[in-house]
Amino acid sequence: MSKQTTETLAGGKLTKQDLQKVYVRNLFGLQWGWNYETMQGLGYCYVIMPILRRLYRNNPEKMKKALKTELGYFNTSQPMSHLIVGTDAALQEELGIDAAEDALIGVKTGLMGPFAGVGDTVFITIYRALVFSIAAYIAMGGQAVALLIPIVCGVAMLAVRYKFTFMAYEQGRKLASGLSGQLKRLTEAASVLGLTVVGALVPSVVKAPMNINIVIGETNPINIQAMLDKIMPAALPLAIVVLSYWLLGKKKMTTVKLILILMVVGVLFGLLNTFFAPVAA
Amino acid sequence: MNSIPILIVVLLTLYVGFAQLDQISVQLGFYSPLFAATVTGLLMGDVGMGLKVGATMQLMTLGVATYGGATVPDFLSGSIMGTAFAIMSGQGDEYGIALAVPIGLLLTQLDVFGRMANVIFQHRAERCAERGDDRGVEISNILGILPWTLTRMIPVFVGLFFGEAVVTAINQYIPAWLMSGLKYAGGLLPAMGIALLMRYLPMKKFFAYYIIGFALMAYLPSQFTILGVSLVGVALAAIYMSNSESKGAAAAAVGAADDMEVEIDE
Repeated sequence: MSKQTTETLAGGKLTKQDLQKVYVRNLFGLQWGWNYETMQGLGYCYVIMPILRRLYRNNPEKMKKALKTELGYFNTSQPMSHLIVGTDAALQEELGIDAAEDALIGVKTGLMGPFAGVGDTVFITIYRALVFSIAAYIAMGGQAVALLIPIVCGVAMLAVRYKFTFMAYEQGRKLASGLSGQLKRLTEAASVLGLTVVGALVPSVVKAPMNINIVIGETNPINIQAMLDKIMPAALPLAIVVLSYWLLGKKKMTTVKLILILMVVGVLFGLLNTFFAPVAA
Repeated sequence: MNSIPILIVVLLTLYVGFAQLDQISVQLGFYSPLFAATVTGLLMGDVGMGLKVGATMQLMTLGVATYGGATVPDFLSGSIMGTAFAIMSGQGDEYGIALAVPIGLLLTQLDVFGRMANVIFQHRAERCAERGDDRGVEISNILGILPWTLTRMIPVFVGLFFGEAVVTAINQYIPAWLMSGLKYAGGLLPAMGIALLMRYLPMKKFFAYYIIGFALMAYLPSQFTILGVSLVGVALAAIYMSNSESKGAAAAAVGAADDMEVEIDE
């Protein structure tokens, strides 16, 4: 795959190394310059620079125009950005900046939104629901080998992103529409897997013991945890998760507020467990 | 109680800078609370503590990500400091979690500050573009590394350098009943990570699979592990794929993400 060659690619002007340079910059540099004005705009221009240099090295006017165009507002999911960058490279090579400018802005702004949606779902939400939840579950048991899981999966992601860059370059604009249809089914299947694992996380990682005794009259004290376990194991953890899920659907709810709510509930539960602890008979 | 050796303070400061760059680029995992806490534990001679603090922090933050560039609490720096303080004080992993969370929340504003500071480099790049100075544009982007890393490295350095004083102050001013309550709260926090994932995944459509996962693990805790449940999940996903295939691909038109995006303000 990485055979060194100075041969130009199909379009005639760009070389394989140009695209490889773009890939590496895209991996690392897309968000260095992230800012509130253009978000990934500055980083994007940095990523595409090897292409601009190759095409407009001897034409200062075109270089100026290309730099200004590429510095504009841009924001999408990082793994998906490779598809846009690859398409961009193909367009500029084929048409040059003057003819490609409109198409370029269209491709960038038109794709970044939908790609951000798909990318965030697949490469952040589902990826974490599987990779990092399993790793954290193993780590909870004190196994350092858990750290290998994210690393191995992360390296696999590098290969996927390499593929994205070249796929997009080779197929140009055709790619986007075809891809989203395929991705829908894959995303749904991955969501099925994700939710199965997420459901299993509830009883295994949320700790909410209620080991307290309540004495009513002269009868034996009632142990709340034992009672809850008879109804359903992990009933309290499930209730807390469902409550959190419901709260997150509220308009004004933020993750910071939810953390604070959980801390307050936790302190109260903790105090209950301390003050009503069963007395050893 | 001993203060943290200066060499370890420096190493952890460098680590948090490196991890932050991982966070905004390839995301191999060094940025995650799991790694940060484990590396801290390794350097301070208690890997087990690092793993436990890291695992809980990781589970809590499963759904906390910078979707679309939103600012989230800095649980990377929080996990490093929480783990370090837990090891110094010898008070157990719940103590580390109880500290990592508020520290992460306190540092939130620094992320906003860093992203704001980068506007300067965007403007610098635009001036360079006017001149056709491609090298200048590149340098502007590279300079963006400074706000990203310094907003993490400075607080971690300061926090760990004065670690002994911090821990002493905590032990002195936070009453024991509150501390034990906070320790209990650490066990609840993974609920947030799980709930966030449920929000981002198509829960309404696929809640049945969630119930299957929960039931397997809740009723058969000694027979199943998470890996076992994920095997069941793979099988369910494969069945879903083949079923939806037979229904025809025509229905699977555009808009893959439309029905699975939920906005949550960070």
